[in-house]
Amino acid sequence: MHEKNIYKPIPFKLDKVETESPLIKTFFLTPEEDFHFKTGQFVEVTIDGIGEAPYTPSSSATVTDKMEITIMKAGYVTTKMHELKGGEILGIRGPYGKGYPLEKFHDKEVIILGGGVGIAPLRCLILTMMSEIERYQKINVCLGARTPADFIYKDWYPELGSNPKINLLRAVDKADETWQETEGVVTLLLGKLQTDFSSTVAVVCGPPIMMKFGTLKLLELGVKEENIYLSMEKNMSCGLGKCGHCALGDYFVCKDGPVFTYDEIKDYPDIWI
Amino acid sequence: MTVYSLLSKEWAKSLNSAVTEYKIYAPLVKSSSADYELITAETIAEVAYDCLLPVTPLKAFFFPIRENVVKKQGEEKRVIIGARNCDLVALSLLDAVFLDEDFVDPYYKNRRDNTIIIGSDCYAIKETCHCTTYGVEPYSEINFDLSLSFADEKMYIRVGTDRGRNFLDSLNISGRQEIDKLPEDILGKRENTRQLLAEQNKELPDREETKAIIAKTDDAFWQEYAKTCVSCGACSVICPTCHCFLLIDREKFEKIKQWDACQYPAFERVAAGEDPLKKLSKRLKNRYECKYIHKPGMFNVIACTGCGRCIEACIGKISKNEVIIAARNKD
Repeated sequence: MHEKNIYKPIPFKLDKVETESPLIKTFFLTPEEDFHFKTGQFVEVTIDGIGEAPYTPSSSATVTDKMEITIMKAGYVTTKMHELKGGEILGIRGPYGKGYPLEKFHDKEVIILGGGVGIAPLRCLILTMMSEIERYQKINVCLGARTPADFIYKDWYPELGSNPKINLLRAVDKADETWQETEGVVTLLLGKLQTDFSSTVAVVCGPPIMMKFGTLKLLELGVKEENIYLSMEKNMSCGLGKCGHCALGDYFVCKDGPVFTYDEIKDYPDIWI
Repeated sequence: MTVYSLLSKEWAKSLNSAVTEYKIYAPLVKSSSADYELITAETIAEVAYDCLLPVTPLKAFFFPIRENVVKKQGEEKRVIIGARNCDLVALSLLDAVFLDEDFVDPYYKNRRDNTIIIGSDCYAIKETCHCTTYGVEPYSEINFDLSLSFADEKMYIRVGTDRGRNFLDSLNISGRQEIDKLPEDILGKRENTRQLLAEQNKELPDREETKAIIAKTDDAFWQEYAKTCVSCGACSVICPTCHCFLLIDREKFEKIKQWDACQYPAFERVAAGEDPLKKLSKRLKNRYECKYIHKPGMFNVIACTGCGRCIEACIGKISKNEVIIAARNKD
């Protein structure tokens, strides 16, 4: 067989693991072979002999010698990921999917709406956009978490908020005495934005319930269906458009997505499950 | 298309030398059902050309139940005799999935490249056969290297590809004659099969109508069938177009690709627990939507070729065709 084997992962060294929140850790990786990806694409990470699962990198797509992935402990493979200490070799396949069409965001105002571990792929998007920030009018970053302690990348926000082209707004469902920002659901932040929503592009990533109400709020504010980009969470296994686990109507989310515009998928039932 | 006429006994004789060079699989009839078996010099005479549809779908030759997809695969030269058109047409969907130029599956491609497929006409039908309802003929139309038609002591071979022609030439069959077209008696036998199928399936709507019927069904409709479905997945594993699989991890980053089915619980469940196909009724509907709406939409192919195996295989006695007719009559 002379073709590249699409099922075989390439080795990545796990340099270190950092705890972000009680359930979320960031894994710092170094590829041992040439590897690059576009923001919004995902990778399949194998723990040798244990299992494989899909994640979207959280580091900038412009950095190719290192990669960071932020993972919430949720199922069997992610629990095993959380047990890793650093020094291990992981297998990575990909990148897969289409990613964000950044050229369609150029010269526009962009809303980035995220919650929980959904902030991880958005960090990759924001960092990648920041490398060419002059191409965008303004980036409104609206992020939410359950409590201040649940926010991932705690050290990042002062730097992010100080960028003159970035308008950072954060909300927590439940504030504590230290919290100075919004208390309430993340969609409340959208009401605070002063923008021409009809020409704005919005990117949404987070838990299903947030995706649903975030999208409905954006539509209500006047954002066009074709300008709302959703990162769909599905049980992507092969990443190649073959195994069938991530079928969504006439699409395989792994190959045709995982980023879809709302108008591409709105007619399918159960998209928010 | 080139057509040859020859004597059946000369064909059988030529296979004697071929079995040493190729692994030849052909249908043998055992305990009343036909299925592909590895043919040896001793069993050449038992090959059942005029049998009913083989039990195993053709896909199993190219997409085996279970295989290691990281280890190197050998190149085995194979010949499959007696493939039916419902299975041949189904290969178009598998090719679209596994030979997708963005991600060519090297294991599938290796098997496709090294396998000569010899189709054969169907002159007898099962009570579950319904290919023609979906526009699939009861003789090889596509994805075959050679195709056989047969009448009494005579055989007729149509050449589908250069690979097929080279194989046929290598057999050195004595008395082989090129003819203009298939004789009338073969065309008559095919027409007879068509009529049997038309009569048997006269109530059954075609693909386009079925698509509209399925799209209109509600959950209550599928809940009725969910009462007898046991999620065994037989309908999927026996289906010539079902291609879903699992990747199972083994040490040294090896992976096992194993058949999976949307009828099994948790097929679409994500780590956080959400599962769009959690309800059995939704899994049932998903199978019909996949075959009549989504796969044709994705690949512009026929995703149910009317082989009827899912009807035979169902432990819950759910007949796909009766489901479709019931859905239509519900309107």
